[in-house]
Formats: sequence, C-alpha cells, structure tokens
Amino acid sequence: MNFAARIFDLRRFRSLDTLLPIALFVAVVASLLAVEGSAGFGRDEAQYMRAGERYWGWFEGLGQNIAKGHPSRSFAASDIDAYWSDNAPDHPVIMKTLYGFSWRAFHRCTCTGPARGLHPIPIRGRHVTLPLFRRDSTAFRFPAILMSGLLAVLVFRFSRLLLGRPASVAAAALAIAQPHYFFHAPIACFDAPITTMAFAVGFAYWRSLTSWRWGVATGVVFGIALGVKHNAWLMPFFLAGHYLWMRRGDLFRLRPPRIPLAFLSMAVLGPMVFLLHWPWLWHHPIERTRIYLNRHLQHEHYNFEYLGRNWNLPPTDAALKLVRATFPVVSTALTVPVTTLALAVVGAGILARRRKNRPIVDVAEDLDPMASDTPARGASFAAAVGESASWLRPGIDVDRAPGAFLAAQTLGPLAVLTIPSTPIFGGVKHFMPGMPYLAVVSAIGLAWIATAAARALQRTSREVAIARALPVGLALMASLPAVVETGRSVPDGLTHYNMLAGGFAGGASLGMNRQFWAYCVLPMLGWVNERAPRNQRMYWHDVLNDALSMYKREGRLSLSVGDTGFAEPGVENSLMGIIVYEKHWALYEKFIWDHYGTLRPSMVRTREGVPLVIGYERPQ
Amino acid sequence: MTAETTVGAGPDVSRSRPPTARRTIRARLPLLSALALVVLALFETTQALVAPFLAPTTADWEAAAREVRAGFRPGDLIVTAPGWADPLVRMHLGDLLTIPMAARMDDARYGRVWEISQRGSRAPEARGAEAFVAKFGRLTLRRLDRPAAQVTFDFLERWQEARVSRVDSGAVPKACPWQTDRFLCEGSAGVHRELVEVDTRIRRALLAPPVAAATTVIEFPSVLLGRELVATAGLHDVWARKYATGSVHFEIWIAGQRVGQDDIGNRSGWKPTHVDTRAQDGQSLPVRFEISSSKPELRHFSFAAEARR
Repeated sequence: MNFAARIFDLRRFRSLDTLLPIALFVAVVASLLAVEGSAGFGRDEAQYMRAGERYWGWFEGLGQNIAKGHPSRSFAASDIDAYWSDNAPDHPVIMKTLYGFSWRAFHRCTCTGPARGLHPIPIRGRHVTLPLFRRDSTAFRFPAILMSGLLAVLVFRFSRLLLGRPASVAAAALAIAQPHYFFHAPIACFDAPITTMAFAVGFAYWRSLTSWRWGVATGVVFGIALGVKHNAWLMPFFLAGHYLWMRRGDLFRLRPPRIPLAFLSMAVLGPMVFLLHWPWLWHHPIERTRIYLNRHLQHEHYNFEYLGRNWNLPPTDAALKLVRATFPVVSTALTVPVTTLALAVVGAGILARRRKNRPIVDVAEDLDPMASDTPARGASFAAAVGESASWLRPGIDVDRAPGAFLAAQTLGPLAVLTIPSTPIFGGVKHFMPGMPYLAVVSAIGLAWIATAAARALQRTSREVAIARALPVGLALMASLPAVVETGRSVPDGLTHYNMLAGGFAGGASLGMNRQFWAYCVLPMLGWVNERAPRNQRMYWHDVLNDALSMYKREGRLSLSVGDTGFAEPGVENSLMGIIVYEKHWALYEKFIWDHYGTLRPSMVRTREGVPLVIGYERPQ
Repeated sequence: MTAETTVGAGPDVSRSRPPTARRTIRARLPLLSALALVVLALFETTQALVAPFLAPTTADWEAAAREVRAGFRPGDLIVTAPGWADPLVRMHLGDLLTIPMAARMDDARYGRVWEISQRGSRAPEARGAEAFVAKFGRLTLRRLDRPAAQVTFDFLERWQEARVSRVDSGAVPKACPWQTDRFLCEGSAGVHRELVEVDTRIRRALLAPPVAAATTVIEFPSVLLGRELVATAGLHDVWARKYATGSVHFEIWIAGQRVGQDDIGNRSGWKPTHVDTRAQDGQSLPVRFEISSSKPELRHFSFAAEARR
C-alpha cells in the first residue's frame, strides 16, 4: 500500500469511528422505542413519572412568576416543597426532571380530555408540544432511552482505546443486549441511567490519567451521576482501588501516590453539582442530605426470591450468609447471555496474563489498520506523547493497568452485593453498573480469539481476505445470541434467565426471582376492560394508583375501572382481582381464596408456560 | 547414570506429547477457540429461538384436564410439577382441586395421585405405582397409586369439639368460650380454623396465637388413635415472620403424657412432628396441644394434625 493510499485508508477508518457510534446510538434508541410500549408501569416508575410531571409544574410556575415579575416566589421554601417534595428523599432529580421535560415537550396532548383530572398538576389548557410520541409514557421514557444509546457510544469509545473496531462494536452490543439490562433500559427509572453514568465516570477517569481536562470533567460527570442515583456513592471506591494498584510502585517506595486531579475534582465539583441540581435541598442542605443518606443507608430489605427462598431480612447465621453472598455471582451467571459470559472468561484470562506496558491484544496492522493510531493501548503514554507525569496526568509514567481497572469496575458493584447485609430486592439492577465493563472484558476475549485465529489462518492457508474478515464475522457471531436472547426476553426481562438456567421455566424451577413491582400486568388490561361493570370493584394488588392513572391517561385502561385498595380490605371489597406472582404474595392469594371462596383463577398470564399474573373473579 | 537421573534428565514420554504434536495443538488452538465460539453462539441462538415452543399450550392443558376429569374419583389428589405451574392446574381443574386439597397438611391420606408435569419434573407427592401415563403435547399426565393412610381423627375437621383454655402459671385454667366463629381467650385473638400462609404456601390450619405469660391449651377429649399422630406447625404471615423474632413452644400430650414437642420459629417452615401411637392404636384417648411463647408478639402460630392408621 503506497503512502497516499494509506492516508486515504486511514481517513476512511477514522470516519468509521465517527459513524459507528452514531449507528450504535440510533440502533439502540430505535430498538428501545420499538419495544418500550410492551412494558407496563411498575410501582416505582409510575411514581417517577408523577414526580417528573410535578417537577415540570415548578418550572411552569417559575415561568409564570417571571412573567409576573416576581421570580423569587418560585424559590421560596414553600413553593419548592410544594413540587420537589414529591419522591423526596428517595432519589435525586436529574432523571425525573428530564422525564418531566420530555413529557412536556413531546407528548401528544389530550390533556383537556376526560383524563384531565388524572394529572398530578392542574392542566390549564391544551399543551403546545412537538408530538413525537403517541403515548405520554413514551415521552416520559425517552430520556432513559437516550441514556442507553449514550451507553453504547461510551462503551464503543472506551473499547476503541483498547481494541479494534469489530470488538469495540461487539462490546457495545454485548453491553446493551443483556435481557435484564434491556428490560430496565427503556423505563423511566434510574437503573439504566446510572449504569450509563457509572460508565461515563469510569471513562472520564480513565482519560483523566493522561489529560487534565478530563480530570476536571470527571468531577462534573460524577456530580451528574450523584444526581441520578445513589449507586454513585460507591464509584470513588472502585476508582481509588484501581488508582492505588496502578501506582503501587509509589507504595513500594514508601511514597504516597499523588492525589490525582480527577479525585479532587470529584470531591469538589461532585457535591456542588449534586447540591445545585436538587431544589429540595436548597433551604435545608445539611439536614435533608442527611435524611437522603439515611434513607438508603438504612433501606428496608424488601422481599426477593433467590434460590427458592424468600429473602426479606439480612441473614444472621453462617450458612444463610454464605448462600446470600453468592447472589450477585449466581445472578450474573444465570442472566447474562452464555456466549458473553464465556468470552468474559477468556477476556479475564487475557487481562490477567497481560504484561506491563504491552497492548491487551496485539492487533497487527494488517488486521486492523487503526492499530497504530492508539499507541500503547492501555499502557504508558509517556513515550508516545513525551510529557512528564504529574498529579494532572498521573497515569502518564506508569502502566495504566486496564485489567485492574476493568476488574474494579466489574467486580466492585458485585462485591458490594455479596455483603449479606446489603438489600438484594432489585435483583440484577443493584449491580448493573458493572455489566457494561463485563461486556468490555468479553470484547477483549473476542478480540484475542479473532486476532489469534486470523493470524493462524494466514499462517496456515494464506487466506488473507478471510483472515481480515474474521474479526468482523466473529464479532457478529458473538453478538448474535445476546441479541436473540434479549429479543426473546421482551417484555419480561425480569423473568428471563439464560441458557444455563433453562430460560424462563428454568429460572422459575431454580427459585430465582420472577419479577417485582407489577410491570407485568399490561397484557391483563384487556381482560380487565372486558369485565365491566364488575371491574369497577377491582383489586389491583401490587399495581399502584399512579400506574393505573397512566394506563387510563393513555386509553389502555377504561376510565370506569375501579381500585378497591390494598391488602385484605381491598380484596374483601372487590368483585375481581389480580395477584402478581412473587413468592411472598401467597398471603394475598390466601385473601382471595378466603373472600371469593374459590382457588380457581379466571385467567393466568404466563410467559413460556411460567405464571406471572393470576386473575380471579368472585363467583356470582 | 542411575535410573532416577535418566528419568529426570530426559523428556517424560509417557506424560507429555511429542514436541511436534504440542506445536500442532498450539498452532490450532486459536482456530479451535474461534470454532468453539461459533458453535456456542449458534447453539445458544438456536435454543433461544426454539425454547418458546417447548412450553405447554392451552390445548395441552385442556386435553390433560379432560383426561383427569374422566378418571378422577373423590379422594384423589391432583398435583403439578414443577410446582410453579400450580395456578394453571387450578385454572383448568379448579372444580376438582378444592381448597382443602390445595391447602392440605400433607399427602398421606391420598391413595391416588394425578400428576401433570412438564420438562421431566416430578412432584414430591407423586410416589407409588404408576397406574397410568399419557402425553398431551408438552405435558405428561401420570396417575400414581399407593396405600393411603386411614385418618382415624382429623383435628382440623373436628376442631369445634375441642376445649380451649388459657393457663397462667400457677393459676387455675380459664376456659376460652366459643364466640361466633372461634374460641376466644382473654388477651388473644382466639383459636379458629383458617387458611394461613406458612413458608409462602397456603395451608388450612388451626390458628392459635400464643398469649403473653400463659399457655394456650387445646384439648380433644376423645381421639381415636391409629399408628401415628402427626402434627404439622408453622408461623402464619410473611410480614409477621419478617418483623417478629420469637419462637413458639408446642407440646403434644396424650392421656396426660407429653409425647412430642418442638419450637417453631421464623425459619421452621411447615414442620411435622410424628408421634408413634402403635401402642394406643384403636383406643380413644384425650389429646392436648399446648402453645406458649416468651415473645408472643406477632406470632401467628398455626397447626394441623391427624391421627392415622
């Protein structure tokens, strides 16, 4: 290849590095928009939608107050609390505020129609919007969907610092194509967004090791993460673990490592962003921050099924502690697609064997024309950029230990969940921020296999064209089962378990958690709607009124359908009802048997034969 | 040169491959790895595409239910395997599968067991000689016949014959009189039969919460005994098991002699106590259950019992 042709070739590949993340972003957003309508509203999501709309109400009031010339009224404690106390102190408000803004901007307004009274804020008239979405809920969910698209981009970008292009695309695909992640990705909650932010913080930190600009940015990104969900509290520990390992040479020389700019920035800018973003804190910053911290440090252990046992308290004896400690590892092993897991094992081996200052996978230029464009790939940049090390660029004079970084980021969230006193009620979502890093490790395994196989192929058969196509082909092959398995799981990703477990049925047989918070009732709404007028006295079990309001606002549930309330009085006053299957809800099914005098359901909603929701009607 | 040095100095041909073979394997390892990746990926993809079609259909359930209905006799038991398919069995056979059957103490009294299973599972109740087996799509229907226990006294069915009293330490027993639907003891919700949730399963039991600083005594004056007396006990209500910690002491007395005892706590589940009554087989004797707890708050103690032959 002559020089001019090589230049042309590199440009072509550089533009691919711009185009591929855009394509990944579009593909992720489009696929999530395509499926989000099949996911019902859980207890928490409906509350966040309500809160988001109410937060929008504050901005609406601010606009009015500005127009009237007294904007300070909106900043009075009473005005702030009237709006921002909703869902406080549970969670900070960046995502909820975005959900509210997105709803206001993109819903197709039927707000002055018969469902007008179901909004949490007064509807003063028809909203002028850019009506992108038919359903209100899609507009609420849109920011979460964009965050997942952003995750794909970040995973690709990060992987490109270490790997070739096909493996980097596969890393992004494997990060998104995980059934439990994909379930959480489109809903208006915080678990997928905080997964994106965990990756963003890690990415910024990694770049900060060689760039002071990224050092400053890390603090801002961390502040945003703090404003998304409390998982962010743990991020500094994982980063510090890596940093100490990376600079362990200092420790051996009994010299304390430099405190890097990224950590200073996180310590200063993080809390500032957090405080500034949440109006509920403004008038009582210390007291309310303490309340917020305690809310999560002393969080109740909600019921959760794991290996056939209902867990709702921290275990106290040794045997149960041991079983409980296996939760994140077993859950990962039974939920992540098996091919992704197998590649992660290979990738972990490659990282463990990697020598200092060597690339993770030695991609030959003839197999990846961009190989020489990112010198050292995870090793020291000192020689490449000719700069000296300082606290501004603390990774410049040492091997940056990508293996330790990926291990800390992947295993850190899992390790927290091995502590028996940690609640596990959210299942995989409690340690989901580690999963995109796991996908990167898988991509490393893939890259090693592809590179070694391509080389071997060239040696043995001289089939250069096949060898060059191999990384792309294997990347597609590695992504295929994850994508198909994830597609299979929709919309019941919480119920899904992988091939090792035996799928939906295997997960149920193993006594793994089937679902939570009643996302699964959406397919039951037709059955409920058909049963007028009995459905005026409907027992909704675990479905909150906020979710019912949203179903009604969107026309998916008849406005005349009633709600007899919670627990036994709710059952007693009802003519029909549902039981959302979770192990501990047997008590509520007992109420139905008691008061209806029958154990015979009228309808059972199943997924691949596994019951999810049980519908009953009181005999006439 | 000794034998040892010869072995130590040269290659151990018995334990290692020739260098050329090793080189070949090493050379082929990358391609084998790639091949393994392709095979695994295709296998996982295929199973993901095929698995949804392995679940039983509504038609399968209806066909199996028709067969059960045709052969069902009063006193038969219907079970499912795996147990999580239970709501589907109840939907299709809820006219035959009654609340007492579903909420049974155990399965000893059932001589014929209909098991509707899938994916090769077996129900723990499905013991005995296989008298019938048929396939209905993805479902397997079996009937197992075995000798059934003869219940000589069902404490749950005859619970209203009991005499219930509260015994404070060192004091005269105070009777718990019948009121509306239960025996009402001073300082407690009383004793009555109810559906309970123990260990996340619905059971039919006598609910007899312990009272503070006293013993609740439930006495059946004349019980026809068989070869054994089985009492199974547990704590009702998942929330009570979450928020309270005390255990409940449970004793079984026959004709003034204590024959069994246990402590029932949050993790006891639905726990049986077996009492050998072969020596009293055929006799009618008084049987007494005593219930007490040092921490009775939120302890919804419940039990069922049978005398059997």
